[in-house]
Amino acid sequence: MRPLRLPVLAVAVLAGAGSLAPADPHADPARFAPWTRGAPPPLALIDLAGRRHTLADHRGKVVLVNFWATWCEPCRDEMPSLARLRASLGGRLVVLAVNYGESKPRVADFLARLGVDLPVLLDPNREAPRAWRVRVLPTSFVVGPDGRVRYTVVGEVDWTSPEALRAVRGLL
Amino acid sequence: MDRRTFLKASAALPVVSQLPELAPLAHAQAKDFSPRPGAWRTFEVTTRVEVQTPAGVTRVWVPLPVVESEYQRPMGSVWAGNARRMQTVTASTYGAAMLYAEFAEGETAPVVEVTSRLQTQDRALDWSRKTPATLDREAARTWTAPTDLMPTDGIVRETAERITRGKRTDLEKVRAVYDWILATTYREPKVRGCGVGDIKAMLETRNFGGKCGDINGLFVGLVRAAGVPARDVYGIRLAPSAFGYKALGAASSNVTKAQHCRAEVFLGDHGWVAMDPADVGKVAREETSEWLRLEHPLVAAVRPKLFGGWEGNWLAYNTAHDVALPNATQGGRLGFLMYPQAETANGRLDSLDPDNFKYAITAREIRA
Repeated sequence: MRPLRLPVLAVAVLAGAGSLAPADPHADPARFAPWTRGAPPPLALIDLAGRRHTLADHRGKVVLVNFWATWCEPCRDEMPSLARLRASLGGRLVVLAVNYGESKPRVADFLARLGVDLPVLLDPNREAPRAWRVRVLPTSFVVGPDGRVRYTVVGEVDWTSPEALRAVRGLL
Repeated sequence: MDRRTFLKASAALPVVSQLPELAPLAHAQAKDFSPRPGAWRTFEVTTRVEVQTPAGVTRVWVPLPVVESEYQRPMGSVWAGNARRMQTVTASTYGAAMLYAEFAEGETAPVVEVTSRLQTQDRALDWSRKTPATLDREAARTWTAPTDLMPTDGIVRETAERITRGKRTDLEKVRAVYDWILATTYREPKVRGCGVGDIKAMLETRNFGGKCGDINGLFVGLVRAAGVPARDVYGIRLAPSAFGYKALGAASSNVTKAQHCRAEVFLGDHGWVAMDPADVGKVAREETSEWLRLEHPLVAAVRPKLFGGWEGNWLAYNTAHDVALPNATQGGRLGFLMYPQAETANGRLDSLDPDNFKYAITAREIRA
């Protein structure tokens, strides 16, 4: 069958991209691919309130870095489950939803309409996806409390599925 | 696979019965789409940029239509605004020209307006008449080279080799790629702007829905990977189609979102030849309320004409890839330059969001 809809996004060349676009997000635990690239790429961006966030700020907690855009339907579809996962784990999980280069009013309008509560970072220069080698939206990374990136997952995820819970809870 | 996943997966397929908004079969009449060179038209295009959220030094870049060719004659540009510095600049590699405006810190309402005049005409190659041409070695290398978004190795080369297997001449190869593009890709109206044009990601994810930046970008990348010089031509629609196709023209004088890129291939018997497979897909998807098959008379009428021709209701800004904006202090290089660009101390502005940016582009025809 045809793979999932994955709006494509240009940044740098993604190594090992042959495993992109699995057909069924619920049947493939291997989607949470182990991170093999060493130290986390830089991430220093401001949120909608103007506060600056880096990965180091959240040392001691699991951090889920999610790359998304308002025009990306699979991104929008997975956001409610991402918000539910965050709510269910209280303060032990930090979600950083990095928007792909859109303006603050556009992002704020979108979140208000969608009605989800997620910490969103703005990236006007689109430097974070380049650094993280993201070429497809959505793409997410799970970072352990020790600050090491553990998993990459490309495409829409049901963040309340057993596979996702296993990947995140296993690091708590 | 659960139902939701199935529906999501199916959503990308051209299965019209699943689109609830479909109207009953349209009584679409076949149209005669016959661009013909010979009649030059004069247009004036005005781009007005008013940066809504200036911070620090604000910088603006407005693309200028400087392509001079058999189908376009630039007649110059004028500009005005409250910038401390305004000048034309050129990106290094492919020579994209733009008006650069730099606003002093403290300027609370940066504004710049650029007006360009030019003449355009239709293109339609007479395939029966050979006009032998050659590219010098450097040009041949330039127009077969990979770019940031158009690699010509790996999956791109493998795909190009598969498509052109057994084809001997450059023309046969180009036609095979054109037909493959039409059979494989489809116009996706929800894609933002003209698409990203990351052809490797398209092939890897097999996500073939897109717009001109994606579809003509994939066409050009595959043609280059097959060893034939090719290039994207980035521009904007200026006027309605004279042949009655609403998908192939600007709906009004407001062309703020009418950007469109076409393509050219270089053939030794004919020189640079016009190509626009993306517009064939646009007719199939957007000309009527239903998704038309390639065999439908409305699509069949444009398919052969956009292989070797296009209508002169469109201008070409440039043929540039990997554009580093001169004097920029933030952000990386652009895959292509078709939209106004700007940066403030807070970063690049979103060039696909004219209302928040903000900018407006208008076009009018000047009749003698």
